Amino acid sequence: MSKLEIDIDYIAQLAELLQRTGLTEIEIGQGEAKIRVAKQIQTVMEVSAPVHQHAPQLQAAAPAPAAEPAPVSDAAHPGVITSPMVGTAYLAGEPGSPPFVTVGQEVHEGATLLIIEAMKVMNSIRAPRSGRVTKIFIENAAPVEYGEPLMIIE
Amino acid sequence: MFRKVLIANRGEIALRILRACRELGIATVAVHSTADAAAMHVRLADESVCIGPPSATDSYLNAIAILAAAEISGADAIHPGYGFLAENADFAQMVVEHGFTFIGPDPEHIRIMGDKIRAKQMAVELGLPVVPGTDGPVSGDDEAIAALARDIGFPLLIKAVAGGGGRGMTIVHGEEQLRESLRLARYEARMGFGDDRVYLERFLDHPRHIEVQVLADRHGNVVHLGERDCSLQRRHQKLVEEAPSPVLDSAAREAIGERVATAMRKFGYTNVGTVEFLWQDGEFFFIEMNTRLQVEHPVTEAITGVDLVREQIRAAAGEKLGFTQKDVRFEGHAIECRINAEDPRTMVPSPGKVQAFHAPGGPGVRMDSALYAGYTVPPFYDSLIGKLIVHDVDRAAAIRRLDRAIAECVIDGIPTGLPLLRALFAEDDIRASRFDTGWLGRFLERWQG
Repeated sequence: MSKLEIDIDYIAQLAELLQRTGLTEIEIGQGEAKIRVAKQIQTVMEVSAPVHQHAPQLQAAAPAPAAEPAPVSDAAHPGVITSPMVGTAYLAGEPGSPPFVTVGQEVHEGATLLIIEAMKVMNSIRAPRSGRVTKIFIENAAPVEYGEPLMIIE
Repeated sequence: MFRKVLIANRGEIALRILRACRELGIATVAVHSTADAAAMHVRLADESVCIGPPSATDSYLNAIAILAAAEISGADAIHPGYGFLAENADFAQMVVEHGFTFIGPDPEHIRIMGDKIRAKQMAVELGLPVVPGTDGPVSGDDEAIAALARDIGFPLLIKAVAGGGGRGMTIVHGEEQLRESLRLARYEARMGFGDDRVYLERFLDHPRHIEVQVLADRHGNVVHLGERDCSLQRRHQKLVEEAPSPVLDSAAREAIGERVATAMRKFGYTNVGTVEFLWQDGEFFFIEMNTRLQVEHPVTEAITGVDLVREQIRAAAGEKLGFTQKDVRFEGHAIECRINAEDPRTMVPSPGKVQAFHAPGGPGVRMDSALYAGYTVPPFYDSLIGKLIVHDVDRAAAIRRLDRAIAECVIDGIPTGLPLLRALFAEDDIRASRFDTGWLGRFLERWQG
């Protein structure tokens, strides 16, 4: 097997070509040596986008749909906080008051993140660890299921 | 009528209720544990809510979670199915207090019949036959006790007041043994439990289990829908149920049915219910009442043509029963077999992945099951995975139809009770209906599988 000499500039040129042409992959062989430049475009997302555009209309017609599950990648995030119970989630202590937490906010372990009401009982959901809130999956007064992702604390 | 019903159950019964709701034009909400996210009742429901982790205590038995699910989904009634919270009077009460309708009887009726002692007292008050016995511990001279024993009849049991669970019982076959047996029983009770008080009760040595189905609306109308014979049991778990009972004639059926209907009218009972009896040599003895829909309700549906789940939903919604006792007809014979995910010889549960599933079909065959190919039977719940119900013109024809249907049924990937069911219906005793509640236990001791 012949030794492959890596020419960074050459690869950079190929990458540029890839961008310009809109191709997803370029592979060039010389003897046994091969250079393959590829980009992972999110084909699945783009293809499925029109489906998502229709989805809200269908849901609007359907009676009170259960909360839309969060995308798998977010739900599988190590910092995700899931709902410990079924109920209605409130992001603020009372209507009109500011939310307990907002995206970007640093929280300390034990801080109230939101309230879940189940059978007229208000249950404070507290931060299991300190960190920064990077995502909030739910809207105020949204119904939540057991195990549903609520927010991410990193 | 309800707009939306939450089904607080899983498996085949959740599906059964869902089907009844669909036919009534009612939207359905399935609740499920995380282990049941891919279950059929979730897949077929209009909406679903995950209510907890796999453990039933934290999900299907979690009253708060179920009520919260009803609240967020906007359901107006809750159907409990059987098992789980179906006979929990506190749950029924909570459902009502939170403004939902409980599809079942009133909490108070559930409470009374859920307490063994109160239930028996109530049965006596309502004029239902109970196992004859002394009201409390026996005392007095030998002749007085002998007179009590003659009233009860032989064989009888001398039971230690402090005994229970099969301990502290002596069988007496005739009056000549009574004196000596009583002396011994008292001595054993004193040595065993530190309490020599004993009472007497008729001993049923070859009883059958026969139960009467009732249906009642909220306007005082009560009908009985005949009986089911569920004598094939092991460890008090029913395996096969049939209707009508092969040991009752139509006069006996009418008599016990009328007696139960009258009792339920007096009780003020509503919705569906089943009064269970032991039956021996022409006599009925009350055991308990199940204040809910039963697993074996399809055999009654088969011979009467009455959709019990539809009727119970209608009754709970306050609608009037659409028929009277004289409209109730019993046609042909129906048999139900419970198919469990378990080793048929050891009875060890066998959860796992179902590789292939084919439900039997054709005339007179009904399969109630939430299985599908690729489904994994979770290890957390009851092992019942299907009910095979056949209906035909008479018992012999129904057995032939059952043989045929069992042969068609395919459940690959996990051991099931199908081989046992097949073996049972090849037995002369079963074909000739010569069995009591102890028969299946004795059969399993000799069955090689």
